[in-house]
Amino acid sequence: MKNRILVVEDDAAIRDAVLLNLQFADYDAVAFDDGRKAADALEDDHAFDLALLDIMLPGMDGFELFGIMERFGIPVIYMTAKTDSASEIKGLRDGAEDYIVKPFDPLTLMVRIEKVLKRVGKWNAVYRVKDIVVNTETHTVTKGGESIELQPLEFDVLVALLRHKNMTVSRERLLNEVWGFDYLGETRMVDVKISALRKKLDLEDAIRSIHKLGYRLEDR
Amino acid sequence: MKLYQRITLLVSIVLTVVILAVSLSLLLFAKNTILSLSVEQVQRKQQTLRTSFSEMANYYAANSDSDAVHDSLVRYCFTRFADQTSVLMRNGEAVVSGVTVDPSVYVQQSDDYGEAEPVAVTVQGRRLLIAGSSTSVGGKSYDVYVVEDVSDVYDRISRMAWIFAGVSLGSIVLGAVIVTLLVRRSTRPITKLSDAAKEIADGAYEKRVMIRTKDEIGTLGKDFNRMADAVETKISELSERNERQRLFIGGVTHEFKTPMTGLILHAGLLRRANLSEDERDASLAHIETQTQWLERLTQNLLKLTTSDEEIELQSVNIPELLDAVKEGVEPKLNERGAALSVQCETDTLVLNPDLMRSLLNNLIVNAANAYDADAPEKPILLTVTGKTFSVSDRGRGIPKEAIDRIFEPFFRVDKSRSKKQGGSGLGLALVKTIADAHGATITVDSEPGKGTTVSVTLP
Repeated sequence: MKNRILVVEDDAAIRDAVLLNLQFADYDAVAFDDGRKAADALEDDHAFDLALLDIMLPGMDGFELFGIMERFGIPVIYMTAKTDSASEIKGLRDGAEDYIVKPFDPLTLMVRIEKVLKRVGKWNAVYRVKDIVVNTETHTVTKGGESIELQPLEFDVLVALLRHKNMTVSRERLLNEVWGFDYLGETRMVDVKISALRKKLDLEDAIRSIHKLGYRLEDR
Repeated sequence: MKLYQRITLLVSIVLTVVILAVSLSLLLFAKNTILSLSVEQVQRKQQTLRTSFSEMANYYAANSDSDAVHDSLVRYCFTRFADQTSVLMRNGEAVVSGVTVDPSVYVQQSDDYGEAEPVAVTVQGRRLLIAGSSTSVGGKSYDVYVVEDVSDVYDRISRMAWIFAGVSLGSIVLGAVIVTLLVRRSTRPITKLSDAAKEIADGAYEKRVMIRTKDEIGTLGKDFNRMADAVETKISELSERNERQRLFIGGVTHEFKTPMTGLILHAGLLRRANLSEDERDASLAHIETQTQWLERLTQNLLKLTTSDEEIELQSVNIPELLDAVKEGVEPKLNERGAALSVQCETDTLVLNPDLMRSLLNNLIVNAANAYDADAPEKPILLTVTGKTFSVSDRGRGIPKEAIDRIFEPFFRVDKSRSKKQGGSGLGLALVKTIADAHGATITVDSEPGKGTTVSVTLP
């Protein structure tokens, strides 16, 4: 089961980009450009694991929409251009899980989404790519039904690539997401783990080295 | 040193000098007067003594036979007139003396038998006045002295000096106290002014002083309050303006953030994601529209900030101006399928043609945007009568509660539609700024569902 995410954002460029990013990461995303329309649609279908809400919305603003989300038990991350702390405090005090200030980095958005989903216990712990299934709960990897042994670090690098599937992730970012902080100058370690993953999981073509940028796990 | 202290000190010094000078001269005058009285008295006493003694002694003792008789007669005659201050001497020897001093030591005897000038001397701590002169009795020369002890006169003088000093000191102290009180009283308003000035400097701009005296300080107080009024007004104007500017900058930042976010996200996608051909095209299209939006925003911001200043006015042929406006908006109107008709009853007006073109352009584009996409006819009417420019549409109109806010920067009645139509949110703010720069008034007449007329009337 893919995690289902509701996006309410009136700016077409931002909406489309966020949708693409969500699709890449294997989320099921539904988007609205108007608060009222989103609220109406929720009456029929409210099986969402998370909502990404803009605050300044036509129809009904993000703070109002939050009340409806609360009614259906959908956790909320605000995407806001309002940098004044007053609205941040209001958003979080009302019970939003997180907020992200525009302009934001899409990779960071993905990490925050995952954290919130884990926190509220809705995280779908299983990633799939080709015939490979990665379960982050049991820390097991199967390929074509057969179990594959991975070192812990190899497993973490694989999950980071899966988290940002179809997006290039720099070596620094991989280090950061796997170890939790910057291991400057240790990026060679990433290359070693990547080549091990390629070999063990037969992902020579799927994990692409993008010149000067990093690695990309392609699956489309 | 505080002003009242300085004034008090100065006045006290002057007071002291004057009182001391007066006291001293009075004291000296009194002393001299008293002393000269004593001197005269001693002189007269000696004169009387000498004359009386001389006459009597010459009458009785002038022809005495023997020296002993002569001596006793002379002694007798002298004692008849003498008291304890009298001394009679012959050849440097005291014949009769009521005192212990030898007066001849102090007084130079003159040869003439005239008047004796008293001499003041101090002997063993006593002040004495000694007057002496010679006389002859029966061919023998006698010296007659009066030795008057005038110590008590000097004592009186020094007592008087002490009293003078006491009175002077008292007057000086009393004077100084009175001066201090008076000066403090008259400088208290200055202290009040100073305190008020400090409070104002610390930000209490509403502070005023209460000084009701009718002198220069009272005037200063009034002027001070007037100044404080002016400062308060100016400060509140400035802070209002600051607040407006802060809001405006906040609005600008907010307006920039949305297209920026779109740009960043799509640039990131293009660079990092393996997009399909269609997705790539869509991303590029988003980048193009977002960039155009930013460009419009900056253009309008520039116009908004520059048309705020003093503008150049000139006499302009209005039909020509309207032709230029029409030509300028034509492409946009065609795009939206709107039709502009122009009516002009005015030949020339004094205005800034570039800014007025921009103003009319904005109003016409807004009018065109007031129609829904599927409205078949989209008439826009631009009329000029007298000094009034009017732009009318029969579009959707503006809700009553929004009319007051439409000239605020970044206010949009319908946010998403305005963005779809490429609005920067600054069009009407620009119209207002340009109208203000011309000193023109704007009226908005709108009814939801019926249409809107915006009129700009030049002064």
